[in-house]
Amino acid sequence: MKKSITWLAATLLVLALVSWPLSSPLSLSPADLPEHTANPVNGELVFHAGGCTSCHGETLAGGLELKSDYGTFVVPNISPDLATGIGSWTTLDLVNAMMLGTSPDGNHYYPAFPFTSYTRMNVQDVMDLKAYMDTLEPVENDVGPHDLNFPWSLRRGIGLWKLLYLDQGPVLPAGREDPVYERGRYLVESTGHCGECHTPRNLLGGLQTSRWLSGGPNPDGEGGVPNITPHQDGLASWSVADIAYYLESGFTPDFDTVGGSMVKVQEHMALLPDSDRVAIATYLKAIPALP
Amino acid sequence: MKVTWISAVLAALFFATTGWASESVQEQRHELMESAKDAAKPIGGMLKGELEFDAATAMESFQVWSDVAAQAGDLFPEGSETGYDTEAKETIWTDRDGFNQQLADFTAAVDGAIEASPQSLDELKIAAGPVFKACKSCHEGYRVEDEN
Repeated sequence: MKKSITWLAATLLVLALVSWPLSSPLSLSPADLPEHTANPVNGELVFHAGGCTSCHGETLAGGLELKSDYGTFVVPNISPDLATGIGSWTTLDLVNAMMLGTSPDGNHYYPAFPFTSYTRMNVQDVMDLKAYMDTLEPVENDVGPHDLNFPWSLRRGIGLWKLLYLDQGPVLPAGREDPVYERGRYLVESTGHCGECHTPRNLLGGLQTSRWLSGGPNPDGEGGVPNITPHQDGLASWSVADIAYYLESGFTPDFDTVGGSMVKVQEHMALLPDSDRVAIATYLKAIPALP
Repeated sequence: MKVTWISAVLAALFFATTGWASESVQEQRHELMESAKDAAKPIGGMLKGELEFDAATAMESFQVWSDVAAQAGDLFPEGSETGYDTEAKETIWTDRDGFNQQLADFTAAVDGAIEASPQSLDELKIAAGPVFKACKSCHEGYRVEDEN
């Protein structure tokens, strides 16, 4: 008995030693950023495509509590307030946060923050976004820490999770000739982070990309998030114009209105140029149809 | 003889109040909403470019909406909060002023569209926009989400 406990302790120690470097948070250094003059006008479009206010609130002051199986996540203040928001952040800090899930003090963020999608963004878009967010009103709101259950409360463990699920590559094979499809892919797979709700997750909370956009449980609780692949169970009967019009107006082809957590998403999509909504629709009609 | 009379009156009252012969208020408002939706379809088709713009068709839809606006207020009485799988949310009864404001906004938007009498697709877009916005806004606060 005593011997087996010693063995167990030894095994855990070895596992911890091996996984410690593997779970280390990654960050870029200033030299990794490209030469780029930030464009806040494009940054505003990125801001809408990402739908930041859906979780962080209209003023970005945060505070929303997201209850989950892992515990309660508290949405942070990302307004440019120096003390309680992210006003002190550099552009590099925002790039590391959004594209690598690493905080300015070198810790992992929990993937309730959809950096698993943002990791596919063009770094220039993130730089533009920073320039836009700097123009917004700072709001003082000191948001408390997350309240998570063990072992999820151990942030370092996310490093191992990232090895499995942080992937900058495209979800669906890249390299189509059609620039409209490629623009749609970019918006859906990265900035728009559609897959975070519309794709089912596995037991570890990773997206099942083999079932890409085929629907999932509602993270808010009851009901489900719809299948948006071109399958009978999804958008088979919707034309490209129907999808684009839905994103613009909030009306389905049957002239029902958008509901639930999609309301805010749709209202942000309505602020994008027509061409972006058509691009999203084109991509959604071209992806594999899944039940 | 008198007893027969009384029971006949009671029976008549019973059937009248339970709506045995007529439709329930929940069904009536469901059908009213369906008619609003059907009226939206040709306008949506024009805005999406699937249908040719037609001023008369658009005006017909506006008239349907005008009827909906006139009738909807009376179809959510106390006591009709549940039943017939109604998608009416309890907020209609707990926040009646808010609901009435939504209905007033819808009415104003429809009146505005009729007055504008759009003669082109661009004008239609401007005229119908506030109506669609009012539909959506009321559904957000006062309609139960159907689950997928």
